Amino acid sequence: MPTSDTEQKDKLLTSEFMARLDQLDVISRKLLAGKMKGERRSKRRGQSVEFADYRNYVVGDDLRFIDWNIYARLDRLFLKLFLEEEDLALYILLDVTKSCDYGEPQKAMYLKKVAAALGYIGLVNYNRVSICAMANGIVAETGGMRSRTRVARMLDFLIELEPAGAGNLAEACRRFALSHRQKGVCVVLSDFFDKGGYENGLRYLSGGKYDLFVVQILCPQEIDPTLQGDLKLRDIEDGDMAEVSITQPLLKQYKANLNAYCLAVKDYITRRGGTYLFASTAVPFDTLVLNYLRERGLLG
Amino acid sequence: MNFPSFLNPWVAGAAAAAAIPALLLLYFLKLRRREVEVSSTLLWKKAIQDLQVNAPFQRLRRNLLLFLQMLILLALLLALSRPVVNHTIGMGSLAVVLIDHSASMSATDIKGKSRLDEAKAKAKEMLDSMDKDGSAMVVAFDDSADIIRSFTNDRALLKQAIDSIQPTDRRSKLKLAFQLAEAKAASFNPEQRGPLGPKPEIWLYSDGRVLDATELSLRFADLQYNKIGTAEAGNIGIVSLSAKRNYERPAEVQVFVRLANFGPDPATTAVQMSVNGVVVSGGVKSGLLVAPERWTNEQREKAEKDQKLTFRYGADFKLDLMTGAVIRIELKEQANDVLAADDSAQIIVPPPRSLNVLLVTRTGSLWLEKFLESARLKSPKVMVPDAYEQKMKDPQALAAEFDVILFDRYQPKALPPAGNFMYFAAVPPDSKLKSAMESEAPVTVKGQIVLDWERSHPMLRHLPLRFYAETGLRLMVPPDAQVLVEGDKSPLVVLYRDGRSTHLVLSFDVGDSTWPLNWTFPVFMDRAMQYLALGSEMDVRQSYQPGATPKIPRYNLQQAAGDLTQLKIHGPSSFGTVTTAIPAAGDFALPALDRVGVYTLDPAIPQFEKIAVNLLDDNESNLLPVDVPPGGTGQMLAATGGKSRFELWRWIVAFGAIPLCLIEWWVYTRRVHL
Repeated sequence: MPTSDTEQKDKLLTSEFMARLDQLDVISRKLLAGKMKGERRSKRRGQSVEFADYRNYVVGDDLRFIDWNIYARLDRLFLKLFLEEEDLALYILLDVTKSCDYGEPQKAMYLKKVAAALGYIGLVNYNRVSICAMANGIVAETGGMRSRTRVARMLDFLIELEPAGAGNLAEACRRFALSHRQKGVCVVLSDFFDKGGYENGLRYLSGGKYDLFVVQILCPQEIDPTLQGDLKLRDIEDGDMAEVSITQPLLKQYKANLNAYCLAVKDYITRRGGTYLFASTAVPFDTLVLNYLRERGLLG
Repeated sequence: MNFPSFLNPWVAGAAAAAAIPALLLLYFLKLRRREVEVSSTLLWKKAIQDLQVNAPFQRLRRNLLLFLQMLILLALLLALSRPVVNHTIGMGSLAVVLIDHSASMSATDIKGKSRLDEAKAKAKEMLDSMDKDGSAMVVAFDDSADIIRSFTNDRALLKQAIDSIQPTDRRSKLKLAFQLAEAKAASFNPEQRGPLGPKPEIWLYSDGRVLDATELSLRFADLQYNKIGTAEAGNIGIVSLSAKRNYERPAEVQVFVRLANFGPDPATTAVQMSVNGVVVSGGVKSGLLVAPERWTNEQREKAEKDQKLTFRYGADFKLDLMTGAVIRIELKEQANDVLAADDSAQIIVPPPRSLNVLLVTRTGSLWLEKFLESARLKSPKVMVPDAYEQKMKDPQALAAEFDVILFDRYQPKALPPAGNFMYFAAVPPDSKLKSAMESEAPVTVKGQIVLDWERSHPMLRHLPLRFYAETGLRLMVPPDAQVLVEGDKSPLVVLYRDGRSTHLVLSFDVGDSTWPLNWTFPVFMDRAMQYLALGSEMDVRQSYQPGATPKIPRYNLQQAAGDLTQLKIHGPSSFGTVTTAIPAAGDFALPALDRVGVYTLDPAIPQFEKIAVNLLDDNESNLLPVDVPPGGTGQMLAATGGKSRFELWRWIVAFGAIPLCLIEWWVYTRRVHL
């Protein structure tokens, strides 16, 4: 029985959870200039209530911003300068390759939920949210969205995304970087199981333009496989086959390799100024959002 | 060291030939791998690659299960083959050794050794395993039981006792031996052993062929039954022998022999008859094929039909024997016969006797006296009743002096205790056969003619009886009497046996009849004399079973010599000569005559000059050892004496196959490999 639109949206974000997310905001460690006035301090000096600096009065300046206290002391006219409140660009790069259509709980749904939560936080705080679906390049994109009124549209977009196809992280990141020049917070949600490697792709995202946040999400079946016997493993993305006889040493080696892989990704990210977070779909996603992401400084 | 042997080697071999290749084939055929979807093979391939570089035993990893399954299969195949080891059961601390030394234990079917020798050897071997503080007793049994050595812990004495046991030709009975064993064991040091003391063990060495197997029970002792003997022992034995003098022609003796084959296959034998040690003409019957007793009727009939065989079950002989003799029957030409005791039997045939006849008559009887003069009698006497009464003061002497006493119209008041009597117009005193009385006088029947007679009776055969009896008694005939001649009004001639006496009653006075004028009368009288004199010995002298103690009446001893104080008994070679003292009064029982053969008494005792002892027992001649312990309880040990077969298959399954199965299950579920 097809679930209704509301039910599907509820699967991603429930009303109760949204209420909890209202308290949060996306934090950028770097103040980044936005295009419009948002609820974000910007480095630009503009009109706001937050005092930034003084300058000498010049004929024609707005007399309301003269600091009369200084004039009284120094008998000179100075103008108060205030920080401009700008919007923050929040980019969410969501992995929708076929490899995410795996696991229990399913990785794709988990990623969508995290994306929905982050997107909601960004929208309700008048940040400009863009969600890009990555597979073999950027396969879908919302474009910039602001304000709470865009939440439904965002959820619709996420619901319609279906994991499919093989991944090409490098191409996706390249295209993203080319089309999104405004600086902002970039959150990459993926398993990073890209046979072409993750370095080429992440290179486009690191380097200072974005406040990079990488969340690698795997399912328990990938972290601690329960396979046994003599098997023929079929890659869900590209159909690649591997004949294995599951043994204890093999499992041990696999886990060691997985661990090393994740550490390598983390190392790559952190060296380039980004933040890395590893999560399992077994962790309740609200815990991830409300606890882990706050601890890591993405949300506050 | 006892190496195991296998009870089912071929079955296990066949199963192994099928199962082992099948198991290997399952493993070495190309594996069918199950296809499983994973999110990415990226890290799996790397793991495989890394593992193949690092692990030296990876080739063996999937073979661990194969190895374990092979071990399980081998354990099950080994259990299927039913390996057994013989292990020696030790003798406990209180044991009774029962050794069977009956006739069947003389069979030499254990590599030429007799069963008794085998039993003795095994018993001595078992004594070596006795607890060092243990005690044992040795009892030899056949149809009785003798304690050879009472409880002792001296093994040398016990072994000596066992060695001293000699074979007999007697039958086997175990009841007395069991009772003796339990009684002696119970009474042996009860205060030391206490109620919780060791249970006495009875170590029985026998072939199990006991007559009283169904009556046996042990109350508290444990029975260890050592079966001695083989099932393949061949034996044809004489199981029955009888000889009769022909009633019609007392000089002719008929001998009947019944044979039985207790071996597994048909066997031939020859039967030889000898008289006083000489084989008579016609006294050999050869080529008698005897079917095995263990065959069913169907098997016998099938063999007779398919192989055109004719099976014999015995032989019979006829010979003329005017004198007494020892007739000996022997089996000859027997291949593989292992028991000699039943291959011969003898029978003592006394001579037909010249009779001493007494006629008691008040007034004399012309016809009877004439008959006595003309008949072939030893020394006939005639006596008046008073003289008879006088003689009756010593009835034993009277009985011994005369073979037949005739009472002519005289009703005797008493008779000797045993004898043969003929009455003419009189009846035996105090007997069921009496004359009808009326007003205290016998009823008289007048004018009778012969109505019918027993034409087949030896006394009356071929005698056309037609006579007239003027007067006679009306006889009241008891049911166990035989009417030989029936008159038209009353029985005329009646034969009645009463205990040790035989009475032939003619209800009429022969002098008052027409019979003496007929030729049938003297013929009848002659036959009657012979019948009365020889009939009690028509079946010849009885033979005795081995172990019997024939009782000789004092009267017979006195006949031999009035003051006999000792007697020599000459027996077969295995018995030898034994001198025994005779008690001063009463009857005398001979010592047990344990061996088969003819025993001669010295001095000769009338009616006991020679005594024949024959086995004639099909239970003893049947050499097939019994598998079940006599009485049905107890443990049977292997014929290898004192050793018990211990089957290992249960231990292999319990401690081999099952633990391996558990390990294999664990390995499979835990994915543990080399």
